[in-house]
Amino acid sequence: MKILRFAAVGVAAALALTACSSGDDSPAETTKPSESAAAPEAATIKLWLNGTDTPDALREYLTTTFAAQNPGSKLVIEQQDWNGLVPRLQTALSSEDQTPDVVEVGNTQSATFTYAGAFSDLTSLYPELGGDKLLPGFVEAGTADGKVMAVPYYSGARAVFYNKDMFKDAGVEVPTTLADFTTVAKKLTTDKVSGFWFPGQDWYNGATWIYTNGGELATQDGDTWKGALESADSIKGLEQVQDLFKTATKAPADSDSNEPWVPFNQGKAAMFSAPTWARWSIDLPECNEGVAADDTSDDATAKRTKQQACNEEHTGVFAMPGLTADSFATAFAGGSNLGIPAKSKHQELAQNLLKIIFSADFQNQLGKNGLIPGNTEYATSMGDDVYAKAAIAAALGAKLTPAAENWATVEGDRILEDFFQKIATGADVTASAKAADQLISDALNK
Amino acid sequence: MAATAPTVSGTTTPSVPPLRRRRPKLGAYGLLVPASILIGVALGYPLVRQFVISFQEYGLKQQFGAPAEWVGLQNYTDLLTDSYVWTVIGRSVAFCFVNAIVTMVIGMSLAVLMQRIGRAARITLQVSLLLAWGTPVLASMTVWQWLFDTQNGVINWVLSHVLGIDSMAQHSWIIEPLSFFFVATVIVVWMSVPFVAFSIYAGLLQVPAETMEAAQLDGASARQRFWGITIPMIRPVLSIVLLLQVIWDLKVFTQIYVLQRAGAPTRDTNLLGTLIYSYSKEFGMAGALATIMLVLTLALTGFYIRQMLKEDEL
Repeated sequence: MKILRFAAVGVAAALALTACSSGDDSPAETTKPSESAAAPEAATIKLWLNGTDTPDALREYLTTTFAAQNPGSKLVIEQQDWNGLVPRLQTALSSEDQTPDVVEVGNTQSATFTYAGAFSDLTSLYPELGGDKLLPGFVEAGTADGKVMAVPYYSGARAVFYNKDMFKDAGVEVPTTLADFTTVAKKLTTDKVSGFWFPGQDWYNGATWIYTNGGELATQDGDTWKGALESADSIKGLEQVQDLFKTATKAPADSDSNEPWVPFNQGKAAMFSAPTWARWSIDLPECNEGVAADDTSDDATAKRTKQQACNEEHTGVFAMPGLTADSFATAFAGGSNLGIPAKSKHQELAQNLLKIIFSADFQNQLGKNGLIPGNTEYATSMGDDVYAKAAIAAALGAKLTPAAENWATVEGDRILEDFFQKIATGADVTASAKAADQLISDALNK
Repeated sequence: MAATAPTVSGTTTPSVPPLRRRRPKLGAYGLLVPASILIGVALGYPLVRQFVISFQEYGLKQQFGAPAEWVGLQNYTDLLTDSYVWTVIGRSVAFCFVNAIVTMVIGMSLAVLMQRIGRAARITLQVSLLLAWGTPVLASMTVWQWLFDTQNGVINWVLSHVLGIDSMAQHSWIIEPLSFFFVATVIVVWMSVPFVAFSIYAGLLQVPAETMEAAQLDGASARQRFWGITIPMIRPVLSIVLLLQVIWDLKVFTQIYVLQRAGAPTRDTNLLGTLIYSYSKEFGMAGALATIMLVLTLALTGFYIRQMLKEDEL
């Protein structure tokens, strides 16, 4: 089966190659928009968005605005699953006939495609889209060899959600330093309840301790990358991580960061850390009104509003504190970038779509929906409730994975999942870090 | 095979009859055309392509249009000098043989059982086997994953709540490589037993009752009849089924991949299939490893296939 599937990828690649060599007049070769050109030829363009992070109202706004601004043309939005996105893009983007015209790609996945030449150069469009105001870490992740290839769509900073009732029962307050966080988490932990939901493979959250203590996942020296988990700063963070694994969580070591709100909703965890949009997934039993998800009657809507208010009343949220009081931790930033596939035949229309996405109007709508917009100028649109405050505080210091060309290999080989799992099962931190560093260095310098 | 036979007789007598014979021969070749095209396109081309790529530096850049560079045997030497690749090859071969043998033993036992039990029981057994065989792999993998889940799994619940083994309440089945392969073996065997059981059962039905009766009259015990008559008679079936099992179990992918994603340590549990998949950005390496796997499969089964073909000729 596997051989066949690989061969199929090979065939797709072969077809893509022949398609590309025969079409000399293909727009893929001319990425610069022609200055003098009249309106581009009308066409239907495809936008790939991943998961359900972009709400329906925003999708509708895009399709209607695009149709209005580009008479005769149409925008179709196709939703892709985050799972298995990279292989899917690998095949789709290399085929002129199958490629979408604008794609969303996870920020840590960007480098894979920018260095491979899968995206068109957006350097000349970059100032018009927002220039320096765009989230700098994301722009860096979307830049290859000095050219901007992908631009930030949105960011979701991590914040800690907590059960207010459990805090009251245990007599603890919102922690003010990272060390305090561990103390609080330990106090909340009982036989059945995790003070902090921290599954063994959850390196997205684990990275917070490394970054905050001044450590890195990998560092660059000239042309070579080196795993940096064994540096003194990283080790300090990792020891705190192991302490949490040992004493403050009942989360299984063989589980990842997926859906941490499930144990929270079941009352099995007092705290979990996730992007702030997780607020919509909180569903405490004492607040559940038993409304069907597809019920759109007024009564159901009212009940849903009541339910959400109740959930938010029982749930608190704070940005992970830093090493000292009044500072914030450096968390791992989730989020995504947008790029125009080099093989798309509708470069100009695709650029028009990007202009709509980076318009003040759309950026503000992203903010209103709890996503940190790609253009930082519009971050205020997130409002000033506790969620927005926590999100913005966390986002200020947020950091991405190393902008290495081969970073996706590290994720693909699940090196960090394996590593954090080892830490969670009580392995020696320094020895495990050394072994993982070796694997990371090998993967990054291939 | 049969189509070539007339040629020999045709050359010895170049008169009228050969003409008559040649017509069906052409027809026979004609009938082979659709199948050949299908195999050529669906199997041959990818295989050639894989082979060619395995001698190239072929990654994402090349997929997006950069020229592929010939690197000779570089991919192969890189792989074969990596001790990790050898670990995975050893692991795969061991996993393959354990699974093939366990599957054969259980399949054989069920086939014999089917022959001995009453009609109602047999049909119940057959239907259950068919259901296990017919369930889509991913669907049944989800069920198995839930059964073995650390927190909410039925197996841990039964062990801790029903049988009272408290230490099993939060036991992780897949975090230790050996335990992981035990779970994987249970699943893979469960999925392949029905095929083996039915094939062998079909073979058993072909053993003539008269022979068995004669042996019984001669005083052969049930055990003697089974090992002395039944087994030799169904040997061709056993050979083919075992051969297929070895091939299938060597290239097992889905079950391992899903279990890994359920939270197992990936590097410690990779088999050849998942290792090739992990080279999804370096097609050159993936192609080379897939070719190595093909050679390995041929090496493991080549002797066996020759043996079977020989028996066929007799």
